[in-house]
Amino acid sequence: MPFTKFTNLDFDQIKTSIKDYLRANSNFTDFDFEGSNFSVLIDTLAYNTYITAFNSNMIVNESFLDSATLRENVVSLARNIGYVPRSRTAARASISFQVPTTTTSQTLTLQAGLVCVGASDNTSYTFSIPENVTTTVSGGFATFGSTEFPIEVYQGTFLTKQFVVDGSLDQRFILENSFIDSSTIVSYVKGINDSGLGRQYEQIDNILNVNSTSETYLIQEVQDEKYELLFGDGIFGRKLENGTIITVTYIITDGKEGNGASRFSFQGTFKDSNNNISIPSGSITVNTISSASPLCASA
Amino acid sequence: MSITRISRSFKDISLSFDPHPVTKDLPILKNESAIRRSVRNLVETIPTERFFNSLLGSDVRSSLFEFVDYGTASVIEDQILSTLSNFEPRINNVRVEVDPQPDINTFNVNIIFDIVGQEFPTQEFSFILEATR
Repeated sequence: MPFTKFTNLDFDQIKTSIKDYLRANSNFTDFDFEGSNFSVLIDTLAYNTYITAFNSNMIVNESFLDSATLRENVVSLARNIGYVPRSRTAARASISFQVPTTTTSQTLTLQAGLVCVGASDNTSYTFSIPENVTTTVSGGFATFGSTEFPIEVYQGTFLTKQFVVDGSLDQRFILENSFIDSSTIVSYVKGINDSGLGRQYEQIDNILNVNSTSETYLIQEVQDEKYELLFGDGIFGRKLENGTIITVTYIITDGKEGNGASRFSFQGTFKDSNNNISIPSGSITVNTISSASPLCASA
Repeated sequence: MSITRISRSFKDISLSFDPHPVTKDLPILKNESAIRRSVRNLVETIPTERFFNSLLGSDVRSSLFEFVDYGTASVIEDQILSTLSNFEPRINNVRVEVDPQPDINTFNVNIIFDIVGQEFPTQEFSFILEATR
């Protein structure tokens, strides 16, 4: 076997190549015997070459979309052609319920976050909403959803993450949770003159019709199926100023595990128009318009 | 019919890497010295220690923690004999004598062998096996 045959990638083949080279170019003879000192050196050289060859092979494989196997690398390569992989999708159920209340407020707001708990296969799953839902109070009752226009709840846990923009070029806005349903990500940007959470920015998936003042952001998947938010640079999308506070809310979900959940019990929180917590005056019965859909949710 | 090649000379590198005092060359081991070193390497190599050759070596280390008596000595003898017959084709007529020293928890090993294809006298060398921890 010629020493210049570089396609030998197995340990034994590499070792044989080194021995052949030594046989032709050395005064030593003992490398043929496994107990010899020379054999120890050859083993070390061959092992080093083998590991280098293996690593090179893996690196080249992971460099191309056709042959990459690690999700992180596939996602990175797909990003170069403008593709954002679909996220885990939460099971969604449609519900309605009526809230008996003694509040004098004209409206009642169901707070974003946990709404109810449903059961499926002897397991309980939490269901949340990504944004507040407000309805009017009439005759001592506030009605949320109806058969025609139900409230859609998402299986999963509602979370909030806040960033303060420091203006550095290397600042990244990464949501530190895996298994986010990316359709539930909502971002608010609070500038120096804004009140409350600030202005809600729109999630986009392309830069068509985006100008320097568009209040938009893009998302991209990074390592471990986490998401990073990309805000504007002053050319495509409004640039964030130093000290700006970004509040991001999102839902992490169990995906298809939540499919089929029903028999919901209410767990939500209400606030009145003065932003005070309002406690219902009686029990709340949740009407299930449709149980958590097995068609919507996916891994 | 296979042909058995008999080597007439053996030359191995020494892992001490001490340079020769005059020539400054790396030290080499020749003929019987090289074979003796090889025998010792085989006995001291733990199976699975070598890359991609998990059977190479002998399991005498595990015997060092047994009772230092003639029973264990017999086991060590068998292990050394089978290792040498499997992995050292340059020697034959191998005899192994293992002498237990219970007072100092060691085994004195004496290996006697002939070198195949060489007119050297019968080789004999000794080393001590001792549990170090």
